[in-house]
Amino acid sequence: MSFLLECPRCGSRPVDEFAYFGEVTRRPKGSASLRELTEYVYFRDNVAGVQREWWQHRTGCGEWFLAERDTRTNEVLAIHLPQPERAQAGGAE
Amino acid sequence: MRLPPQPRERIDRSQRILFTFDGKVVGGYAGDTIGSALFAHGQRIFSRSFKYHRPRGLLCCSGHCPNCLMTVDGVPNVRVCVEPIRDGAVVEPQNVWGSLERDVLSITDKIGGPFTPVGFYYRTMIRPRRLWPVYEKVLRNLAGLGRLRKDGAGHTRYDVEHRRARVLVVGGGEAGRAAALAAAALGPDVVLVDETADLVGHELEGVEVLAPARALGIWEGGLVPVVAGSVLHRFRAERIVVAAGALDQPLVFPGNDLVGVMLPGGVRRLVRDFAIAPGSRAVVIAAGEEDLEIAGELREVGVAVPEVVDLTSTPARRIEAHGRKGRVAAVSVDGRKVDCDLVVASAGRQPAYSLLAQAGARVEYDESRGIFVPTNLPAGVEAVGSVTGEDCVTVDPVRTTKGAGGDKCFVCVCEDVTTKDIARAIDEGFDSIELAKRYTTVTMGPCQGKLCQLASIRLYAQATGVGEAAVGTTTARPPWAPVELGVLAGRHFEPARRTSVHFRHEEAGARMMWAGPWKRPYAYGERPEDEVRAVHDSLGVIDVSTLGKILVEGPEAADLLERLYPNRFGDLRPGRIRYGVLTSDAGRIMDDGTVARLADDLYYVTTTSTGADSVTAWFEWWNAVWGYDAEIVNVTGALAALNLAGPRAREALGRLVDDPDVVSAESFRYLDAKALVVAGVPCLALRIGFVGELGYELHFPSPAGEHVWDRLVAEGARPFGLEPQRVLRLEKGHIIVGQDTDSESNLLSAGMQWLPKMDKDDFVGKLALEHFAERPERERLVGFRMEEDVLPVEGAQIVVEGRPAGRVTSARRSEAVGGVIGLAWLPPDRAEEGTRFEVRVDRRLVGARVAHGPFYDPAGERMRA
Amino acid sequence: MREIFFPKRMWRPRGDLKRRYDVVIVGGGSHGLATAYYLAKHHGVKDVCILERSYIGSGASGRNTTIIRANYRTPEGAAFYRESVRLYERLSSELDFNLMFSQHGHLTLAHSDRGLVVAQERAEVNKLLGIRSEVIGPDRIRELCPELDLSDKPAYPILGALYHPPGGIIRHDAVVWAYARGADRLGVEIHPYTEVTGFERSGDRIVAVETTRGRVECGQVVSATAGWSSLVGKLAGLRLPITTHILQAFVTEPLKPFLDVIIVSSQLHVYVSQTDRGEFLIGAEIEPYTTYKSTGTLSFLEYSARHALELFPQLEKTKVLRTWTGLCDLSPDYSPILGKTEIENFHVSAGWGTYGFKAAPIVGVTLAELVATQKTPALIAPFALERFYTDTLVSELAAAAVSH
Repeated sequence: MSFLLECPRCGSRPVDEFAYFGEVTRRPKGSASLRELTEYVYFRDNVAGVQREWWQHRTGCGEWFLAERDTRTNEVLAIHLPQPERAQAGGAE
Repeated sequence: MRLPPQPRERIDRSQRILFTFDGKVVGGYAGDTIGSALFAHGQRIFSRSFKYHRPRGLLCCSGHCPNCLMTVDGVPNVRVCVEPIRDGAVVEPQNVWGSLERDVLSITDKIGGPFTPVGFYYRTMIRPRRLWPVYEKVLRNLAGLGRLRKDGAGHTRYDVEHRRARVLVVGGGEAGRAAALAAAALGPDVVLVDETADLVGHELEGVEVLAPARALGIWEGGLVPVVAGSVLHRFRAERIVVAAGALDQPLVFPGNDLVGVMLPGGVRRLVRDFAIAPGSRAVVIAAGEEDLEIAGELREVGVAVPEVVDLTSTPARRIEAHGRKGRVAAVSVDGRKVDCDLVVASAGRQPAYSLLAQAGARVEYDESRGIFVPTNLPAGVEAVGSVTGEDCVTVDPVRTTKGAGGDKCFVCVCEDVTTKDIARAIDEGFDSIELAKRYTTVTMGPCQGKLCQLASIRLYAQATGVGEAAVGTTTARPPWAPVELGVLAGRHFEPARRTSVHFRHEEAGARMMWAGPWKRPYAYGERPEDEVRAVHDSLGVIDVSTLGKILVEGPEAADLLERLYPNRFGDLRPGRIRYGVLTSDAGRIMDDGTVARLADDLYYVTTTSTGADSVTAWFEWWNAVWGYDAEIVNVTGALAALNLAGPRAREALGRLVDDPDVVSAESFRYLDAKALVVAGVPCLALRIGFVGELGYELHFPSPAGEHVWDRLVAEGARPFGLEPQRVLRLEKGHIIVGQDTDSESNLLSAGMQWLPKMDKDDFVGKLALEHFAERPERERLVGFRMEEDVLPVEGAQIVVEGRPAGRVTSARRSEAVGGVIGLAWLPPDRAEEGTRFEVRVDRRLVGARVAHGPFYDPAGERMRA
Repeated sequence: MREIFFPKRMWRPRGDLKRRYDVVIVGGGSHGLATAYYLAKHHGVKDVCILERSYIGSGASGRNTTIIRANYRTPEGAAFYRESVRLYERLSSELDFNLMFSQHGHLTLAHSDRGLVVAQERAEVNKLLGIRSEVIGPDRIRELCPELDLSDKPAYPILGALYHPPGGIIRHDAVVWAYARGADRLGVEIHPYTEVTGFERSGDRIVAVETTRGRVECGQVVSATAGWSSLVGKLAGLRLPITTHILQAFVTEPLKPFLDVIIVSSQLHVYVSQTDRGEFLIGAEIEPYTTYKSTGTLSFLEYSARHALELFPQLEKTKVLRTWTGLCDLSPDYSPILGKTEIENFHVSAGWGTYGFKAAPIVGVTLAELVATQKTPALIAPFALERFYTDTLVSELAAAAVSH
C-alpha cells in the first residue's frame, strides 16, 4: 500500500483502491493528421512535477475524478470531478 | 552456570526447558532465549563467518548481528539470541564444514587473505569460459548461510490486521514510554511497539503495548506494518513517534571479531535478563558514560575488570585483541597486554535513524558528536529520545586501527569486510560510499548496516579526505529488520470465480480450467469431438455465464454507444441484436460482444469473459469525459447465461416455455432479443450463432442457474465445454479477441472492413481507422486449411524464405469440415483465397491454403434456421 | 589475475570537463557506458564524455533483477536480444572482468491454457531464429526445478512452461564497472555527479550541453537515461512516448543453493532467482501509476511474498532483507526506442520498461555504430522513435489492454 488519494466521495483512501487512467490528454476533434493522432495516442508529457491525471475509485464507490499530483513526491494537491465535454458545450441538444 | 538471582532477570528458574543443540541435550529456563541458554550451557562459538569461516560468538544479543544465526527446527538463519527457548527444539549450527569448533574452511582465513581480497571473484575464473559453471558451483556452495529444506512446506498460520491509531510509538525505552503516556493523557488509541520482551506484562495506563513486535518501516501515508509473532498489524497512524533509540557501534581493531569481544548492550542483556556472567575477566573499552558503566555492573556480579579505557577522554590508542582458538585471550592497549576472556568494546552509540530516513527525513552528520542525526522530519512523524541524537556520541571507530598489524580488522562482520578491503576498494576507484557498498558488500549482509555503516563511512571519509558529511549515508531501505515472507504474505486467498452452475459441471465430470479469473469446463469427457457432434447433430448446452454483461440505460444511451462503437447502434430496433467490436483511439481491437437493444433507452451489452470489468471501466471513463445521460451497470455476476445450441434447440426450448409459438422461427428470428419465461424463470433470450447452429443464449438471475441447466439437460441438451466451443466457432471462422487478435490488430486487417461506419461524426478509433484505410496493410487475418492432417500449435510460425512472416492463432481438427482448419495472420500479398503458404510444425514446413469465409455452413443457413 | 595482487585503478578520478567533445553521452548506466566503450573500441571515437548525475550505475543498471534472456515474442525483439545474449556470453572475457554470467536456464510458467498458447508462440518465433526455447510439461519442469510446487494445490496450478536454456543471471554492477573501466582505458571521460541541466539548440542540432559543472560543446549527443528519458528529452525539445513507473524488488537473507533456474510467472506477476551469494531475488511488475518518487510500497512486498510462496512454499520462513525501487521508462508497445530522433545529432536509448539491462551490450554496439557512421544498423531499425509517428509498432504485448 502506498500513498493516500482523496476520493471526492469517500475521502482519503490507500492508492491500491484506485485505478489510474493516465495523464489528461487532448483528443483531436473532427480530423487529425497522422502526426496529430499519434501525438495524442502515444506521446506523453510524463512530467516530473504536477500532473493532471485520471483516477477511478475502482474498489470503492467507483467515482471517476481528476487529481493534480506531484509526481516527484506523490503528493496530491487537488482533486476535482470532471467537467464533461457536453456540459461545457452547453448540455445536450 | 548462572549468577544468583538478578533483580530484573527474565528467566523463571522453576521451569526447566530442554532442547537439543548439535545432537546434544541442552537445558535452560523459561524466559531464556535459545542463545542465552546455550551461552549459560558453556557454548561460546555460535557460528562461522560468511567468508573466512572464523569462529564467532554473541556480539549484540539484540537480534541485529549475524553472529548467532543457526538453524532451528529446520528453519535456517534464526537469530538464536532473541529466539525464545522452547521444549524439544532442534538447534543446529549452519555454514560449517565440520563442526563449529573445527571448521575445515577456516583455512580460507589463514591463507585466503592475499588470494581473496575484496572483489577477487571479478578478477579470476574468467577463462576458459566453459569452466565458469564449475567454479560457480563451488562459489555457490561456499556462499549462503543456512540450508533450506527442500520439502519443508510451511504450515504456519499467518494473519493480517488492519489497524488505526491516533498515536503510534515505536520503541519502548524511557523516551518512548514517556511519549506514549503523554499521548494517552490527551486521548485514546495510543499504541506502543517494542521489539524486546522487556515490556511484556507491564501496564502503561491508557496505552496498548505490542511486544515483542517490530515496526518494519514507515511507508507513504503513515503506514507502519508491525510484526508481532505471526501477525502483521498494518497501522495507519495520525501521529508516529519514533523512539527507536541508538545502536552500539563496534570498534574496529585487529581481532575485533574474536569470540568474547562483545558490545556493551549485549553484555548487559546477558547479565540483567538472563543472570549470566559473560566472562570472568573483562576489559572495557568504551565511549560515553552509559557504556562505561558496564564495568561497574560486571564487577557487581563478580567479574574482574582489570582495565577500563575511556575513549572519549584519552587520545588515539592502539588496541589489539589476541586470540586462542578463535576466542579472545588478551587485549593490548598501547602495547600493554592484559589477559582477559571478555572485551566489552564500543565506539559509542549512533541513533537508529533508519525508520525516520525511510519516512523521508534527511540524515546529517554532526561533526561534534561523530554521529548521523535525522533532521527535517516529514509531517506527522516525530522523534524522541536517543534516536534524535540525544545522549549519543561516538568516537572514531576506526582510529584504533592505525598502525595495526597482526589480525584482521573487521568493519563488517556480516560480510567479513576488513579495513584493508575498504582501503583497496578506494584505491581501485570505488570512491563513493554507494559504489563501495556494492563492490565490497559492506552493509549488505544480515545486519543491513546497523553495525557497520558508521565505521565504513568514517573509513571512507578519512581515506578520501572529503569528510563524513560529504560521504553521506547509503539509502535507508525497508524493512528495518529481516521479516519472514510468510508474515508479509498473510493468509492465502486466491479467489477463483465460479459460475452458478459450477457444481453441475463438476458432478458431470468436467475437466475444469482457468479462463481469465474464472474456472470453466474444458470438456466433459475425453472426447471433445463428441460434444461438437452433439451440437451439430442434435442439441448442446454451454455455460457462458462468464460473459461480461453490462446494462446501458438512459435517454442518451444510444448516443453513448454510437460513440463508443465503430458500428451503429442508434438505428438498432428494440428487440434486435448486433455484433459490436470495441476499438481504442489508436484503432486497435480491444473487445467484442453482442449489443441487444431492449428498449429505446436500454441496451444489454455482452463482452468477452475477461473483458467485463475493463469494458465497464472503459464505458464509464468515456462517459466521464463526454457526459451523456446514461447509466452503466455491470451485471456480470448477477446473471447466469446458458447457450442452448443445435438443430433441436427450438423444439427443446418450446417445451420449456408456456407457449411454444413465442419461439417459432417467425416470431423469434435470428438476432432477436426476447423476454421469455423458461422453466418458470424470467430470461432474456438472445438468438445468436457463435457456434454456428440454431441457438439461444438465455440470460437470467444467477440463483436459478442450476434449475435452468437441469431442465435443459433433461430436454436432451448435452453439456459441452470450452474446447468443443472453440472448434465450433472456428468452423464458422468467428474470432476470439485476445487470441486471434493482439494489441496491434485493427478492424481492417482483421477482415472486418464492413463493420466501422465511417460516416459517423465521431467514435473511439475513427481517426485511426481513417489513417489505416490510407496506409498499406502490414498483415491480414485469414482462415486456412492444412494440406495434410497435421495440427500446428497455436503460435506456429508461417515461414517465407526461412524467416517468420506470420503466425497461426487458432487451429483445430474439424470432423464436420474434414481436416485441419485455422486462423492466421499473413502478409497481405499472400492473403488471397487459395494462396499456398508454409507453416512450421515440429521442425518441418507443412503446406496450407488460405480459405476465406466460414468453413462450415458458409451461407449461415443453419444458425438462421 | 595480476590485479588481485597488484590492484590497479578501475578508472581515472574525475577530471575537469573539456570545452568540447565529439560525443556527449547523458547517463552513466550500462547503456551509456557500453556505447562509449564500443565507440572507442570499434570505431576509434575516443573524444567521448559520459555525464552522470550520480554515481555510475546508480539508476536502473544497478536496480534490475539481472535476468538475461532472448525469448521475446516479436521476431524483431527476439533477434535483437539474441545478439545481446551472444555478446553477454563473451563479455567477461572481452572486458577481462568476471561478470558471473550464469546460464542456468529460464522458465516462464504457464498456469492457464491461454498462458501456454502465448508460450508456444514465443517458442515458435524463437526456434525459427535459432534461439533455444521450447514449451515443456510438468514432468520436465520437475526435472529442472524439483523445488517448485507442481501439485494441484496452488490456486493456479502449473500446466507447463516456456524453457529457455541460455537464460541466466549476471552480476549487474560488474557489467557497469567493467564497461566503465574498458571505456576509461580507451580514453573516454567519465564524469559522475555531473547533471545535465539543458541543451543549446541551433535549428535541428544540439550545439552544447549545459551541466551543473558548466557548458560543453558537442558533436553528437546520446541520451541513455531510462526513467528520466522524458525529462532529458524535454530539455532537448523532444517529446517521447514514454511514461515513468516504479519497479520494485527484494532480496532475502543468503541461503545455501536451493534454486538454480530462474522462475518467472506472468500470471502471478513474480520472478524468483537465487544469486551466487545465496540470496533469493524476487521481483514483480511495475506499479500502474506514473511517478518519479522511488519509494517502495508495502503492497508490493505483500503480493510478491504471497505469489513467491505459491511457487515455493518452502520459503515461508525465509526473511526479506532489503527492498529497493527503480524507475522504468515504459513505451506503448513494450519495445525500446532506439536510435535517431528528429533532432539531427540527438540519439536515444529509451522506452525499455523492464528489459533495458538485458540489452546493454547490443545497445552499445548498435548505438556506437549509428553515432560513428550515421547509419542505423538493421537490427535496431524497427525500434526507431519514428515508428510512433508512423504508427508502425513492434508489440511485445500479446493482447490489447483497455487503456488509452
